[in-house]
Amino acid sequence: MKRYEAGGARFRLDIPELVIAPGAKLAFIGESGSGKSTLLELLAMILRPDSSGQYTFQPRSTDEPHDIAAAWQAGDVDLLADLRSRHIGYVLQYGGLLPYLTVRDNINLSRRLLHGRGDDVAEHWATRLRIAAQLDKRPAELSIGQRQRVAIARALAHDPTVLIADEPTAAIDPLNAERIMELMVGLVDELGVTLIVASHAHGLMRHAGLRMIDHHIETSDHNSMHVTVSHAA
Amino acid sequence: MRPDVSRLRLVVELALREFVHERVMSACFVLSLSAVLLPLLVLFGLKFGIIGNLLEPLKEDPRYRQILPAGSGSYGPDWFAAMAARADVAFIVPRTRAIAATMRLRAVDTETGRIISVELIPSAAGDPVLSGLEPPQAYATVALSLDAADKLGVSAGDAVEGILTRTLGGEQQTVLVPLIVGAVAPAAAFARDGMFVAHELLMAVEDFRDGRAVAPLGWSGAAAVDGPRYFAGFRLYARSIDDVAALREGLMNQGIDVRSRVADIELVKTLDRNLSVVFWIIAGIAAVGYGLAFGSSVWANVDRKRLEFGVLRLTGFRTSSIVWFPILQAMLTGALGWLVATLFFFIVQAGLNALFADTVGGGESVCMLLPAHFILALVLTLAAASVAAASGGRRLAKLEPSLALREA
Repeated sequence: MKRYEAGGARFRLDIPELVIAPGAKLAFIGESGSGKSTLLELLAMILRPDSSGQYTFQPRSTDEPHDIAAAWQAGDVDLLADLRSRHIGYVLQYGGLLPYLTVRDNINLSRRLLHGRGDDVAEHWATRLRIAAQLDKRPAELSIGQRQRVAIARALAHDPTVLIADEPTAAIDPLNAERIMELMVGLVDELGVTLIVASHAHGLMRHAGLRMIDHHIETSDHNSMHVTVSHAA
Repeated sequence: MRPDVSRLRLVVELALREFVHERVMSACFVLSLSAVLLPLLVLFGLKFGIIGNLLEPLKEDPRYRQILPAGSGSYGPDWFAAMAARADVAFIVPRTRAIAATMRLRAVDTETGRIISVELIPSAAGDPVLSGLEPPQAYATVALSLDAADKLGVSAGDAVEGILTRTLGGEQQTVLVPLIVGAVAPAAAFARDGMFVAHELLMAVEDFRDGRAVAPLGWSGAAAVDGPRYFAGFRLYARSIDDVAALREGLMNQGIDVRSRVADIELVKTLDRNLSVVFWIIAGIAAVGYGLAFGSSVWANVDRKRLEFGVLRLTGFRTSSIVWFPILQAMLTGALGWLVATLFFFIVQAGLNALFADTVGGGESVCMLLPAHFILALVLTLAAASVAAASGGRRLAKLEPSLALREA
């Protein structure tokens, strides 16, 4: 459960039960302020829940499950950082590319953090995402669509088990958005990566073959919102 | 897990690349740091140069290290042994009564036949005023003051003859002492007609005057007095000018009235201390002011780049690694700022030294720093920059990453 309180407005996100199977492709649809980012950040182990019952992360069926609730409780943020580094790829709405690195170095960043300086996989991923011509440019020289492709390449370059994307196509024209979603879904299908996307574009997500995460929103008065997520796969 | 070294190297590389990427802002930080550092270097260089110019003659001239007894006393072997054992004493020899410590002298090989009277100065190996010269030895080898050598027309290696006279039992007795001039002392060593002699010869002269026998020289007279021998005075030099005050104090406490140049030394040292206080006050104000300005700019920078830091966190960088980001960049700013300030220091130094060349003269520098000073400046700059950046780092560590991403 995550609770925010700002400027007298209260927001609460409850997740009574959410089980996500490896290889699942899910979308959380909602308008801005509906807790999309909060949910994704909880799943990415970057946002501390205010209270939690059971919260485990089992990257592969052969792995021992990690107790995320206990790690937050113990303040073991290094373990969470290491799990993110190993298992999570994250795409932000505006790419979140580092402006001082070239496209090539941005793509390799997650992999270098994990494995040290080594093989250059940027060529491969740039080709897959059709941005090979941009490899030596800096993010500022790219269009928003191209930046999102770089962000997706970076999020996949270290072979994560989960790809999380927060409004990956919100800032892109519909045609381009559809292409990028298709590309992303094609890649996660091929790699067997679990995909969780937050978006307000219901049709686009359904078209891309994503299943919806059920939730309902209660607005008891003007200043308070209570989102309950429920999904069992 | 993966080695921390490669992870740290990645952080270092990213911090450097961002520093280069934002080169205009980085250059502003570097220049503002060197603008604070340069005047401090010049100020300290002036203090060090001026004090050095004042202190150097004091250090080189042994007269500033000499401590003279004001009157006549009675000092035994135990006292001399105790004084010689002190770490702050460079040289001490006993001195006989002034009335007994004279000798008439004439050159042996020259035709002048001139006889002069010289004061006898006790000496030994390690005598500060004869440094680098052959020390007087036993009964035969002596060193002459420049005046005495000039008057006799002798130089090192020449033979001279000492003439001693006493009246014993109403009868006038004269002995001749064959001597070799081992060295001629520089003018600064002794300003009158003087002869530096070894302890043995000095005692022999006193014994002869007192009517006693001196067996090694074949002089007859009364038997030598038994028991320890006491002396009327001493020649004493402190190890350094810094030791004079304490040594003088120690002697005064023993009830020995002494004369020294401690006031001259203290004057320069007081000036040094006062200038140091002024320097450190200015340096302290500058450091605090710059530290606050630098710290707040690092803080603002962390705020400005919270999205980037959030992305690094999301990629899986540990908080402990990311905190190095502002600190590394601050250290780099510090090192470059120091480098720029040092380069400009040499230009300013050359200008100042040329400007004051006539005033100081002798090729001395009015403004100078030692390599150690530059290294100290670098260390202090890096330390101050890290402390200033640590506030930014702490802010970074506290930054809730998800909120940072949300704001983007």
